[in-house]
Amino acid sequence: MPGTRPRAVNRRPRGAVPYIVPAFILIVLFFIVPVAMLLLRSVLEPAPGLENYAVFFGSTTYLRVFTNTFLVAGIVTLVAVVIGFPVAWLLAIMPRGWSAVFLAVIILSMWTNLLARTYAWMVLLQRTGVINKMLMALGLIDQPLSLVNNMTGVTIGMVYIMLPFIILPLIGILRAIDPSTLRAAALCGANKWQCFSRVLLPLSMPGIAAGALMVFVMSLGYFVTPSLLGGASSMMLAELIAQLVQSLLNWGLGGAAAFVLLVVTLGLYFVQLRFFNPYSKR
Amino acid sequence: MAFAANSYAADQTLVFTSWGGTTQDAQMSIWANGFSKETKIKVLPDGPTDYGKIKAMVESGDVSWDVVDAEGDYAVKAGADGMLEKLDFSVIDKSRLDPRFVTDYAVGSFYYSFVIGCNKDAVKACPKTWADLFDLKKFPGKRTFYKWSAPGVIEAALLADGVPADKLYPLDLDRAFKKLDTIKSSIVWWSSGAQSQQLLASAETPYGFFWNGRLTALVKTGVHVETSWDQNITAADMLIVPKGAKHKAAAMKYIAYATSAASQAKFAEMTGYAPINLDSPALMPKDIRATLPDKQAATQVNADLTYWAKHRDEIGTRWYAWQAK
Repeated sequence: MPGTRPRAVNRRPRGAVPYIVPAFILIVLFFIVPVAMLLLRSVLEPAPGLENYAVFFGSTTYLRVFTNTFLVAGIVTLVAVVIGFPVAWLLAIMPRGWSAVFLAVIILSMWTNLLARTYAWMVLLQRTGVINKMLMALGLIDQPLSLVNNMTGVTIGMVYIMLPFIILPLIGILRAIDPSTLRAAALCGANKWQCFSRVLLPLSMPGIAAGALMVFVMSLGYFVTPSLLGGASSMMLAELIAQLVQSLLNWGLGGAAAFVLLVVTLGLYFVQLRFFNPYSKR
Repeated sequence: MAFAANSYAADQTLVFTSWGGTTQDAQMSIWANGFSKETKIKVLPDGPTDYGKIKAMVESGDVSWDVVDAEGDYAVKAGADGMLEKLDFSVIDKSRLDPRFVTDYAVGSFYYSFVIGCNKDAVKACPKTWADLFDLKKFPGKRTFYKWSAPGVIEAALLADGVPADKLYPLDLDRAFKKLDTIKSSIVWWSSGAQSQQLLASAETPYGFFWNGRLTALVKTGVHVETSWDQNITAADMLIVPKGAKHKAAAMKYIAYATSAASQAKFAEMTGYAPINLDSPALMPKDIRATLPDKQAATQVNADLTYWAKHRDEIGTRWYAWQAK
């Protein structure tokens, strides 16, 4: 509105503190305290000291699982961004009515039971599954491809499950981009690729970063899909922690592994806040 | 006051935890329903069995499970570690229970065999022995094995490598893993009974290592499954009461009911697992008895649950490290 003084967005309204107290107590009770107890276990069991961390970082097996986790999470994030971006762009520029329909399809699939969706992929991808049968009937392959019980299966299943988390934040950002900036770029002589790489992509970077971080962090701790679609050698950290806690009852080491995962996740979140946060003061 | 006490008795409940799927369905319909009718104690199902959860409950002193169906090697170890209540054998009659599956802290729930299963429609020939199942030349392609560290696969590998059944223990882990290495890239792991059935029925893995009861259930659905009982490896599930269980007295009665001759016979008929009550076989139809593990005693290898209980952690650590390699 012309004439009114813009209000400082960042100033906290006075008297807000009492309203935060209940939420704060909840977080302390149900998040901080259990995490602290987990940390304590990791340095107290079976004997006080950093032995569990030494075991974790000293074992080639655990380190392989650790790097494996980052590798899978990285690949999944990359593929999800590459597939998700054009979808989000399409939804952003579609007439609202149509985009609402497609959005509903995406969200409905997100609400379908995770286990059911994972099992569905298992059935589709197996050697005797629909995809292999179709490819063989078309004469494209003569031996069924191994698409499941390995890294391929994990990647396909996880990308599918993570896509909404990249598409949804991106749509908002892409819709907010003024189409006239693209037209202006074109008028100034930019070709299509330049319009994309020098205007659209930089403007949508905060959305990509937010979505990618969310997908990456969720992938790091993912359990169900890797455990069902993966093989033993594509094991990820969450499954290792479950094994240590449920089957081997080695809670000290399980706690150490979980704590390492938590620290890494918080570190990544910090990086995102520091460098990609669209709301931070520069 | 009297009224209050009565209504408490009428509302009494106990929580029974098992592994889910067809096995727990049978346990609920035969054991729990029958027990509730007889005693008016309501049985609430929970699951799946989770050893981490039992540990957490016992440590926190807030135990919500009263009777749990657990693997035999875990039951023996948990008893020794002080995680379980001692069973009350003045309520549970152990005189007619198979002594292989009775300890101070646990009695058998049912016993099963690990056997070789094969989808006859998918392949020309089926493996008959563990050596066959470990032979990639004679039987190429994928095969499925049990994913978790438990009695079974290690024994099968050693038997396949020519170790005589009476020389299995102490387990030669180096030799077992060396044998497993030879087929590792062809193994698809199953982590639940339902998954093992899916893998075999779809012929994703035309053969593998199965719980015998899951094969029985597949046959009932019309899949052409061949079961080889050659050197079938037996182990048992056991019923346990976590330390500090809230309905301890009712739990003892429930275990007594579940292990009675009639309950065990009916459960075996429904699932294809063997009864641990020695009087049960006499109560069962002949044709069904022929399909149970206890009829395969001649070719049977007993997994040593006590050995496993002692070395559970050590073998488990090695097992998962080897798998992840």
